[in-house]
Amino acid sequence: MALINLAAREINYKIVYYGCGLCGKTTNIQYIHRRVNPGARGRLVSIATEEERTLYFDFLPLSLGTVKGLRTRFHLYTVPGQSFYNASRKLVLQGVDGVVFVADSQISRLDENVDSYLNLWDNLMEQSEDPSNLGIVLQMNKRDLGNIFSVADLTELLNHTGSPVIEACALTGVGVFETLKTVCKQVIAKSSRS
Amino acid sequence: MARRKGLVINDEQMQMIDGVLTKLQRVTGSQFVALISTSGQPITTAPADVDADTLSLAALAAGSFAATRQLAEVLNEREFSLLFHEGRESNLHVMQVTDQILLLITFGRDTQVGRVRLYTTRAVEVLKPLFEDAEDSDEGEATTIDKEYSREAGTAIDDWFPGETDK
Repeated sequence: MALINLAAREINYKIVYYGCGLCGKTTNIQYIHRRVNPGARGRLVSIATEEERTLYFDFLPLSLGTVKGLRTRFHLYTVPGQSFYNASRKLVLQGVDGVVFVADSQISRLDENVDSYLNLWDNLMEQSEDPSNLGIVLQMNKRDLGNIFSVADLTELLNHTGSPVIEACALTGVGVFETLKTVCKQVIAKSSRS
Repeated sequence: MARRKGLVINDEQMQMIDGVLTKLQRVTGSQFVALISTSGQPITTAPADVDADTLSLAALAAGSFAATRQLAEVLNEREFSLLFHEGRESNLHVMQVTDQILLLITFGRDTQVGRVRLYTTRAVEVLKPLFEDAEDSDEGEATTIDKEYSREAGTAIDDWFPGETDK
């Protein structure tokens, strides 16, 4: 649900990074936080366990600036990836405008990726809003590691919507901003009327 | 399935809403009053300045309230419509206005909780119909998020964070 405040001339969009545990969702957000000028971003909020695993969500607001007289912001969230936190994931998805599904490219993480992808769609379908109006991007993370799936195989498994695919290594920043820009553009395109 | 609808607040509605918040802040003697969406985005505040901490506060309060609602469900309670955190120096009170809107208020030790509860409840009675009108309307969205906005935003995103995308 894009939040449009005509009086304050503001639009806020919500983007959620989704994926299995340790796939690199928080790493994406942390990289963006490190690289972006403090004037264009807010505080990075993380609700994590003592072992730095996400417990509830990470949150980072980013400002695009003023577009056609409207201050435009993107609020980035991550979900906790571990399977037993599904109630928290549903809460974070409320009012979402765009989703980045972060896939761990390693062959050994096949089951976790598929479970998380199916869980994403279960949770989206439970919401009363139509998922076809969401911006969706598939980020294939950890492309720098050995023993990984091909892009074609992962696309076959985790992209039934034919969404844009970005190869990434979130730790070093490869593909991180490309993913962000792609999902932001999708979100705006989906929210605009023809 | 219904088309996803944004919440659109026009100038007139916002003036009335800001009037209610300013009055609420005055009569309760509170530090800060904000209306936020249940998805964690600030809508308007009294005083009016929205800074980075307001964005964090909105995201965290909405998350906390959402968790409270789920707690109610687990306990077979229809709803917990109120969330209250008591601190040493300041307190946080969050109340549901509509399915999409929360009213957040912070106040110090010199303000009585009962006073905040009483006036917050009255404010919610005034705010609720205003937001129900805003939720029912997509008129502003149609005129605001048009092709031109989409094109200009696309260009702004292309120019966003130069030097980072090539990595």
